[in-house]
Amino acid sequence: MAERRLAQRQGELIDRSQEVSFQWEGREVTGYAGDTIASALYAAGTRVFSRSFKYHRPRGLMCCSGQCPNCLVEVDGQPTVRACMTPVEQGMDVKHLNAWPSLQRDFLHLVGRLTPSFGMQVGFYYKTFIHPRRAWPLYEKILRNAAGLGKLDPEHRRTERFDKVHRHVDVLVIGGGEAGLEAAAEAAEQGRHVALVEEGLALGGQLAWGGPRSNGRLTALIERVNAAGVEILQPAYAGGVYEGLLVPVFQGRTMHRFRPAELVIATGSIEQPLVFGNNDLPGVMLASGARRLVNQFRLMPWEQAVVLTSSDEGLAAALDLADGGVNVLAVADSRRGADGSAIEDAGIEYLAGFQPWQAKGSKAVTGVVVTRDGEHRTLACDLLVMSGGSVGQTALVSQGGGGIRYDRDQRRYVPDSLPDGMRVVGAAAGSAAAAGAVPAQAPKTGCKQVVCFCEDVTTKDIALSLDEGFSSLELSKRYTTVTMGPCQGRMCHRNSGLVIADQLGLDPDSQRVGVTTSRPPHNPTSFSLLAARGYEPVKRTSTHHWHAEHGGKMLWAGDWKRPYDYGDGDSEVDAVHESLGLIDVSTLGKLIVRGPDAAAFLERLYPNRFGDMKLARVRYGIVCGDDGSIIDDGTVARLSEQEYYVTTTSSGAGGMEQWFTWWNAVWKMDCEIVNVTSTIAAFNLAGPNARTALSTLTDFDLSNEAFPYLGAGHAQIAGVPCLVLRIGFVGELGYELHLPAAAGEHLWEKLMEAGEPHAVKPFGLEPQRVLRLEKMHIIVGQDTNAESNPLEAGMPWIVKLDKESDWIGRYAIEWYKRRGNRLTLVGWEAQNGGVPIEGTQVVGADGQPAGRITSSRFSRRLGKAIGIAWLPVEQSEEGTAIRISDPKGSTIPATVTHKAFYDPDGERLRS
Amino acid sequence: MIGLLKKHRYFRDHDLKSSYDVVIIGAGAHGLATAYYLAKRHGIKKIAVLDRSYMGAGASGRNTTIIRSNYLTPEGARFYEASVKLYESLSQDLNFNMLFSQHGHLTLAHSDRSVNTMMERAEVNRLVGVDSRVVYPDEIKDLCPQLDISDHPTFPILAALYHPPGGVIRHDAVVWGYGKEADKMGVEIHQYTDVTGINVENGKVTGVDTNRGTIHCDTVISCVAGWSTLVCDLVGVPLPLTTHILQACVTEPVKPLLDKIIVSGTLHIYISQSDRGEFVMGSEIEPYSGYSNTSTFRFIEDLAMHMIELLPMLGHAKILRQWTGYCDVSPDYSPIMGLTEVEGFIIDAGWGTYGFKASPIVGFTIADLIGTGKTPELIQPFRWARFYENDLVSERGAAAVSH
Repeated sequence: MAERRLAQRQGELIDRSQEVSFQWEGREVTGYAGDTIASALYAAGTRVFSRSFKYHRPRGLMCCSGQCPNCLVEVDGQPTVRACMTPVEQGMDVKHLNAWPSLQRDFLHLVGRLTPSFGMQVGFYYKTFIHPRRAWPLYEKILRNAAGLGKLDPEHRRTERFDKVHRHVDVLVIGGGEAGLEAAAEAAEQGRHVALVEEGLALGGQLAWGGPRSNGRLTALIERVNAAGVEILQPAYAGGVYEGLLVPVFQGRTMHRFRPAELVIATGSIEQPLVFGNNDLPGVMLASGARRLVNQFRLMPWEQAVVLTSSDEGLAAALDLADGGVNVLAVADSRRGADGSAIEDAGIEYLAGFQPWQAKGSKAVTGVVVTRDGEHRTLACDLLVMSGGSVGQTALVSQGGGGIRYDRDQRRYVPDSLPDGMRVVGAAAGSAAAAGAVPAQAPKTGCKQVVCFCEDVTTKDIALSLDEGFSSLELSKRYTTVTMGPCQGRMCHRNSGLVIADQLGLDPDSQRVGVTTSRPPHNPTSFSLLAARGYEPVKRTSTHHWHAEHGGKMLWAGDWKRPYDYGDGDSEVDAVHESLGLIDVSTLGKLIVRGPDAAAFLERLYPNRFGDMKLARVRYGIVCGDDGSIIDDGTVARLSEQEYYVTTTSSGAGGMEQWFTWWNAVWKMDCEIVNVTSTIAAFNLAGPNARTALSTLTDFDLSNEAFPYLGAGHAQIAGVPCLVLRIGFVGELGYELHLPAAAGEHLWEKLMEAGEPHAVKPFGLEPQRVLRLEKMHIIVGQDTNAESNPLEAGMPWIVKLDKESDWIGRYAIEWYKRRGNRLTLVGWEAQNGGVPIEGTQVVGADGQPAGRITSSRFSRRLGKAIGIAWLPVEQSEEGTAIRISDPKGSTIPATVTHKAFYDPDGERLRS
Repeated sequence: MIGLLKKHRYFRDHDLKSSYDVVIIGAGAHGLATAYYLAKRHGIKKIAVLDRSYMGAGASGRNTTIIRSNYLTPEGARFYEASVKLYESLSQDLNFNMLFSQHGHLTLAHSDRSVNTMMERAEVNRLVGVDSRVVYPDEIKDLCPQLDISDHPTFPILAALYHPPGGVIRHDAVVWGYGKEADKMGVEIHQYTDVTGINVENGKVTGVDTNRGTIHCDTVISCVAGWSTLVCDLVGVPLPLTTHILQACVTEPVKPLLDKIIVSGTLHIYISQSDRGEFVMGSEIEPYSGYSNTSTFRFIEDLAMHMIELLPMLGHAKILRQWTGYCDVSPDYSPIMGLTEVEGFIIDAGWGTYGFKASPIVGFTIADLIGTGKTPELIQPFRWARFYENDLVSERGAAAVSH
């Protein structure tokens, strides 16, 4: 290991005194603390890190900065980890991703080489495997087996803790290169609270990896930043810039949701590959990648290097590499007029005007052919350093709403307009050295010239797509998948744009080429990180724990958890019919409407009439939408001249509050609406013994004369101030008590005590459904849908078309009245045979759906299956025989009925 | 393999002519399918398909590629079933492999209310001949072992609607397949051609104005999805639509291991894995309306949180890219298709989150409408005039989950 490292030098990241061992492909590898997985493996002699997505070509390190896909590996079961950005840790288990049986010998690579060259050309799967149709499932299996990069463990469970932090700072700087550090220091020195995010292992960007010359400047800058009190998150990455400058930053297992007042984008630039034959061979590296290995990890694995460049960046790289100890044989500069004297002064051959033609070698570079005016020169080397110039990393700018345009002079993309609060500094803003001319059309060398390293898209693929008529960047991109891989175009966006523009004979900024949209997230981010610590709020009533402790099966009901039953729903139904039951209905929505216009307001909202209501009375009401459909129901009690107490369905509470306040805002009426759903608990004490039991807890006169059906009154019950509503959703004598939720548990227990002599039972949602169905009381949302109007729902009596005021839904309901009903909501009963399942259909003579079963239960009390259905009017006469479908294919005969099944005249309610 | 040896030119560029028999606005799957069936079944070949951007730039290229027919209303189920049937032979009909992967579709129910809705869909489906049934946790486990069917999740799975023919398809390939066959029959696809006006005289369409010149024609079909209200404004045809954004995202490709499409209305998520290995996912439409196409972070946060509850194995999977598209929602969650009050102006709009899966049958029926002059039975329930007649097709129960 040691012999592969160069002598110790300032600026290196490794700590040679501390060895770290980990597993690579099942064998132990030892590196130094401070190594990345990639650098440690490189030091240990690894050259092939991955196999490419489609052709399974061997791939080695290229960018060493987390941009390209070449070093994706699996670490401790996590697929697609970038080895060049991940520090080594003792004992970690690192494996290759996309190869079988091994990285060195990959079966699919062999297949790719054996099949003719058109075999896997771009779009091959659109043109093959079409006939015969029945063979497609087999073909698909083969395709699916070959697909995908990493593997997910189907048994994986997230066990570590992930967190989410909400952060507000004055300034957030993304990027810890020179420009970012300076911007951060400057802002912090002005007294602003500044956080800086850097994804790499070292601060300083090019100052850090660009060789020892800049070490002094970097040290001073970091001291300045620290002195100014800049908070540094590192390694951490910005996941994107979203609306309102929301920047999620991921560090370890924590998501920081930053909302800075000012956002500084200092993301630098990304060096671009050159396009030439076999430009993806292991041993072909970006200049910045090679310099990182030499300067930061002190690796010297090569005998001799050739530098290919189209810009001054490559010249600087050649000098730096030579200075770092690399034997640089030659520099081939595709420009003719550039100044290569510094290269020659360093004793390196300078080949002006030479373009790269093709790299030699099969699994590793053994040489390179460069060309000028038809003249070819072959140079032997084991490292090919390429520099196609850099493009500003502007993805975050465009994600945040900034504009990007192509700069023809610089041949790259630069920010054009910025959203409020965003600033771009450094190379991302376009201040880096101009990218030189890139050979847009690489020579046709007969071997693969890779444009997109993630997706294995070559110049030939792009040319084919254009020939076939996919003649724009967007179409070619979708056909070839260029730029759509894990690097999100970092390595191929510019080059593919140039190749396409050149082939179409268009400018890179023309309509058909242009700039593709940069999509968040900025880096691929795991579900575990994004999910962070999940919160799923659940609403619980004041007596939730009592129910749970007394056998209540707590199930979701909208946002709430409610007891389904307490273990024996049948006996709970019986208790209500025969003696006494108690149910928690605190989930009902509860609104207070108060003010001089309260009555007029309700008159406009409901088809019912409320203005004429007497004090201390309660009335059932429905709410309709503009289209006349039923959107909610509940009761309205008049507490005083100017105050109404409105209940809504449990699931409709939020929506109704919005509905009420919306219309109040529109109409500007003199009343106010208060949602008291959570502060008020509600219990329904129901059954023939309800009066007797409740009387023991209150002085309030509950007699039928003093407090008849549909009465509403205030009472002290067991010391708790209650609003008592005498209503009967479940069909027996009942008192619905509304009280401060804080006293809920107390009163519930008192009621249970008072009911003890009557063998009171708490009853759950399911028994309540049976009880209400026996009374044919509908449940809005179950027995009605978005198109149910009150006329068809059998409630014409509720619609007061003679009301003097207008009301919501009136126009539509008048229209429905003129048209006449098409459907109608009726009851049905099935004496012999099964119990239909809710959701099954009433079958017409043609065997097709003619109606819908919305409710169905077996009533033990009545000894038959009963339910509610929507039927065409012509089939809805009392006594009509209908057939109800069953999933098994048979039908269940039933008879239509219009009256409540139980106590149709409501005598028990009024008793 | 033979196909690979041939040289193809799938799409040709043309000069814009001064008149066509039919002008179709929108070169997405709907517009191109319509052009294809018009040429193929009705011999109408002087057709221009205009698009202000590239082919398939809108909803056709942004949807999450799910094909299914397990709708709630009989009208909806019959219509989409006809579409699935066309999809099943589309690769052969258009000689272009669309990678239609029919491995089944599971809509999960986490509450007894939603079990009822599933049962209603299953029964309607069964009666109209759509393969769909309610399954319970044991069978769900067999169909999709990766799902957590225990009671550990916040919202345990109680049942599911299982729809075996449901599947995913390569959406761009549908656009290109229709496009190339239409092109072959002489249909002209004009990309980057912006319609700036529609000319109407005496209640009849006479032509369209574009940035490349005026075209005379007496039939114009609007197949522009999220831009329908804007195009209809050009002729003064009102549409009862609101436009919302819908978001989707995709992971890095991993070895395929999920072959079912999983949908959960309660958790507002759905997921499938493509033949390339990417998980493709989405959620509900955003509640606000507008033409902002900004992706939100909240979307992937919530989606990830719910997704790993359902499929814990996804913890290590990485979201690669998110995007948005426009959806036009009609009052009854059903589309609006066919004749309007302007003679010669045909609309194909209101596709909410279910337009892509209808592409073949839309093309087929709209072409029949133009070719025969009669509105086909299948699309009669979705006619534009139903909003005046208040004869709606309430599809909310099956369409509210946006996929």
